[in-house]
Amino acid sequence: MGGFFSSIFSSLFGTREMRILILGLDGAGKTTILYRLQVGEVVTTIPTIGFNVETVTYKNLKFQVWDLGGQTSIRPYWRCYYSNTDAVIYVVDSCDRDRIGISKSELVAMLEEEELRKAILVVFANKQDMEQAMTPSEMANSLGLPALKDRKWQIFKTSATKGTGLDEAMEWLVETLKSRQ
Amino acid sequence: MFAKLKKKIAEETAVAQRPGGSTRIPRSVSKESVTSMGADSGDDFVNYAEQVRNHQKIKEKLEIALEKHQDSSMRKFQEQNETFQANRAKMAEGLAIALARKDQEWSEKVDQLEKEKRFLTAQLQEMQNQSLNLFQKRDELDELEGFQQQELSKVKHMLLKKEESLGKLEQELEARTRELSHTQEELMISNQMSSELSQKLEELQRHYSTLEEQRDHVTASKTGAENKIAALELKEQELQTSIQQLSINLQKVTAEAEHKEKLITHLQEKVASLEKILEQNLSGEEHVQELLKEKTVAEQNLEDTRQQLLAARNMQATTVGILETQVKELEQSLQASEEKLKQTREVVASQEAQLQALSRANEESRCTQQQALSAQQQFTEHVHALEAQVAALERARAAEETATKHEMRELEKANTALKESKNEYECSLQLHQLELKKLKEECGQREVVSVAMAQALEEMRKQKEEFQQQVANLTALKDENEQSLQEKIEVILQKEEEILQLKKGHDSALLQIRQLQSELEAPRSVRAEEPGAATALEDPQRLPGQEPGLAPSVNETHVNLKAVKDPVYQLSAAEGTPNGEIGTMALGQLQKEKQDLEQHLVEKNKVIKQMQQRMLELKKTLQKELKIRPDNELFETREKPGPEVANLAPSVTNNADLTDAREINFEYLKHVVLKFMSCRESEAFHLIKAVSVLLNFSQEEENMLKETLEYKMSWFGSKPAPKGSIRPSISNPRIQWS
Repeated sequence: MGGFFSSIFSSLFGTREMRILILGLDGAGKTTILYRLQVGEVVTTIPTIGFNVETVTYKNLKFQVWDLGGQTSIRPYWRCYYSNTDAVIYVVDSCDRDRIGISKSELVAMLEEEELRKAILVVFANKQDMEQAMTPSEMANSLGLPALKDRKWQIFKTSATKGTGLDEAMEWLVETLKSRQ
Repeated sequence: MFAKLKKKIAEETAVAQRPGGSTRIPRSVSKESVTSMGADSGDDFVNYAEQVRNHQKIKEKLEIALEKHQDSSMRKFQEQNETFQANRAKMAEGLAIALARKDQEWSEKVDQLEKEKRFLTAQLQEMQNQSLNLFQKRDELDELEGFQQQELSKVKHMLLKKEESLGKLEQELEARTRELSHTQEELMISNQMSSELSQKLEELQRHYSTLEEQRDHVTASKTGAENKIAALELKEQELQTSIQQLSINLQKVTAEAEHKEKLITHLQEKVASLEKILEQNLSGEEHVQELLKEKTVAEQNLEDTRQQLLAARNMQATTVGILETQVKELEQSLQASEEKLKQTREVVASQEAQLQALSRANEESRCTQQQALSAQQQFTEHVHALEAQVAALERARAAEETATKHEMRELEKANTALKESKNEYECSLQLHQLELKKLKEECGQREVVSVAMAQALEEMRKQKEEFQQQVANLTALKDENEQSLQEKIEVILQKEEEILQLKKGHDSALLQIRQLQSELEAPRSVRAEEPGAATALEDPQRLPGQEPGLAPSVNETHVNLKAVKDPVYQLSAAEGTPNGEIGTMALGQLQKEKQDLEQHLVEKNKVIKQMQQRMLELKKTLQKELKIRPDNELFETREKPGPEVANLAPSVTNNADLTDAREINFEYLKHVVLKFMSCRESEAFHLIKAVSVLLNFSQEEENMLKETLEYKMSWFGSKPAPKGSIRPSISNPRIQWS
């Protein structure tokens, strides 16, 4: 009953909040990206033990963005947040060549989850301002993205500290979410 | 190597010298048994003892001969052995030196090869990188070409569209021009019509002017008639006023007459009353007379007035008659004049009607003229507008043409630019191809080098084979040596056999002796009581004294033989290691490592394939289960794959089974619970799962949490009843207050 009415109200009062998860290994820049998207500023962050959740408005679309901590010990709890997710922003450190394999295996395991079957995947090749950063195509190959099937995905080179690439990525995400509805 | 060999040789020599000391002991047991046997021999067996002595002598002789033979053979054997060992040592030295040299050469060669290999691998990597770059560039080129083609097609499409729009515009223009000509024709017609109308108008105006003149005449006559009428009316008025005066006079006269008549009647009444009074009252004759006098006077007055009245009446009648005649005349003249007037009025009316009609016609003609003019104006305006449109359209067409030309030019420019870029890209492609060719050439060179290396390797192999042949030769030599040794061994074996035969003889002799002793024992038991038997046993007692000397010697030969055999065995064992040890070892090791690695790889691939198959099966079963089970059970099915996946990919932490890992990160739990309690309800709804997992909630408890939150979030519905462990701890329902 309540659900029925709330659905009616949500349809009456326009847009449902889109639910987005920001995932990735520790130190990839998830929290910086979240607050860059929300307040447009670079904030000083500490390692996230737990998560951060903020409401971000972009192009008249409201997003409930969850930034989940990426440390190895709390990565298993990502699964608890998967249900009703519209999109996953997967942040990868472009300079971390040693752990890109781990990043890939985490990504592959995540994408195999049934609850994320319909979620859109946006990969942020972050820290592109660094000199030794890998190219997006290189990263896409090492993350095994071209092998993905039945999945809308796109990779963007970003720099959360410089604020480059985030707008393009969000633009793409908004368009893809709109076209999907 | 050389030292090893030396050591071995030293060991062998030591082993060869050692036998005799330790292996001699076990045979000493027989000595005691023989002495114990010999102690019971009797006198009757002196002959026999002699025979035994003879036997012993023969045996001694034989033993001496055997020893001599053995010594000589041993000496020969030792000599041969020494010479052989010397030869072997020389050979070993030579071989060791050759081996060392070869070893050095080989190691140098291996080093060189390794260097070359490293260089080649580096070059190969560079080549691979270059080829990867090339492929990327080629892909980019393809992409660019695709873009070019797309843009070209776009340009073509735009051109076609422009041409189409141009055609449309031209068609429109034609339609407009047709319309224009049509309107011009219409204009001509309307002009003609207007000229006709103006002619008509002129006629009508002329007619109008004549009519106006007529009208003026009529109005002049009318005014004359009106003046006449006015004069006549004035006359009439005068007459009427005179008539009125006359009638007033008449009225006055009649009123006077009436008054007088009334007076008369009154007087007559008075007279009558007076006569009555007179008749009644005769007394008053004087009075009556006076009254009669008055009466007569009054009667006279009356008659006078009657006469006057009659005269006035006559006068009046005459005047009235005159006046009436005059009135009649006047009325007649008036009627005539009125008739005249009527006639003139009718004429005027008819003329006015004509005038009105004319004016109407005039107005109509004016209207038509105006209409015509307005129509003309409209038409002219229309024509102007159309001309303007035509001009505008022509301008637009010209502009469009210029624009299209411009676009065409731009597009051509773009096309040329694209072609240039294409040419550039082709050039770059050619360059890349050239580079590729160069690289291929380099590759070919490298291949040649590798072929050369392979040839060198083959040569090495040949050398190795040669070495192996040498080794085979050496082994053949060794075999020969072994054969000679074996021959010698056979000889020794023969001798051993002989010795064995001798031993057998000895054994048989011993047996005979034992039999004899047993035989001796029988009589000894008979003669057990006899003392002094000890003396008779001296002979047999001597026998065992000789025998121990023989047994050790036999043992010695046996041991010696063994000692001779051992080095041979050891040698044959030592010869198992070939001469080209290091070269082949390195190659073999490398090959072995390679094979091992390949096997390892194949095994891993197999394992991966198996894993993938398992994964596929698991996925299939999962999907089946998902299809079969309704939505509310989806949660449980979702939980299942966790541990399996964890088993398959232990490196992935993201999917690890959470229920098994009891060590919950306390800080994480704290953070999640804090957020759960402080954040918005829509956010808290998504945290239920995490909290449930962290605190090991049951499915029921988790559902209860969800329902509670849904109730809080919605505006309707009732609060869900608590279930499970959170139910208030009371046993029976609350008793109501009565």
